[in-house]
Amino acid sequence: MVTLALRQCAIALLSLSVVPLALSASAAEVNKARALYHYQMFCQGCHTPDGSGNGDIPALKDFMGYFMNTDQGRAFLVRVPGSATSKLDDQELAEVLNWCLAEFAGVSLPVQGYAPYSAAEVSVLRAEPLEEIEQHRAAVLLDIVKQRQQPAL
Amino acid sequence: MMSFLDRLFEQKARGVAQSSSRRGMLKKLGGALAGVAAVPLLPVARADHHGGPAPEKPQEQGSDTDCDYWRYCAIDGFLCSCCGGSASSCPPGTEMSPVTWIGTCHNPADGRNYVISYNDCCGKSSCGACLCQRDEGDRPPYRPDKTNDINWCLGTASATYHCSAAVVVGVAFAE
Repeated sequence: MVTLALRQCAIALLSLSVVPLALSASAAEVNKARALYHYQMFCQGCHTPDGSGNGDIPALKDFMGYFMNTDQGRAFLVRVPGSATSKLDDQELAEVLNWCLAEFAGVSLPVQGYAPYSAAEVSVLRAEPLEEIEQHRAAVLLDIVKQRQQPAL
Repeated sequence: MMSFLDRLFEQKARGVAQSSSRRGMLKKLGGALAGVAAVPLLPVARADHHGGPAPEKPQEQGSDTDCDYWRYCAIDGFLCSCCGGSASSCPPGTEMSPVTWIGTCHNPADGRNYVISYNDCCGKSSCGACLCQRDEGDRPPYRPDKTNDINWCLGTASATYHCSAAVVVGVAFAE
């Protein structure tokens, strides 16, 4: 059931026409060499070198930017166990997340741009790691789809 | 004058039409296009670097069939280089797992640390040759991304473990 919901969600999200603005994360301090190294060490083993994921492992590529449309979505990317419980400190985790968004999110980034993660934001969010990840992910994505489908006021 | 040119071009056109076929032309054109398209698709190492420049190649020292070989600092399994593959490729008939555990190893030949991806090769029963267990940086299974005690044949058609490869991902960032 969750899988079906995720599939519908993915289709709906992909059907939205989004043209990312110039990367707003560029304003954040990102040491690309360090961020790449941390991605290789702590993320790539599952999410694969180009972020395309594999089987049950979600793709970051052309998808993770959708989560930046809502506060819940932003929180999700930090609260997933791979992020929240990683060995990286708050600054390093914010950096690698911002780097991933710049490298992988592509067409999924919000049209209106987005604010990069800060160490302070990451510190608060990672204090509550997620447990029921799949259900939470599906709910977050459904909210994003509903929000995107509402007419502008 | 014009009628002369008309006749000349008509004769030439008929000559070409009689000595060739439209399908032949399409075949040649298709072959040429397919050849051009195939050039950038030749097998190159795409798996171990991220779209940018290829990772710096380490200086090599030692044999990749020895457990002491520098890339194997955190390995736990049968060496693919003893099983018909190499330190970075799987033996024929097996599939490399795309899901891996990753660590760093120090290369004594050039004094640098490298990020190493330990990819299990899957789809045939255990190779049984060159068992190697070094475990540097290995963590207990409650850190699943940093343990070599689990079967990493994940995302492959078969979960049957055969051997382990050690692929150089890049130079480690000096923190």
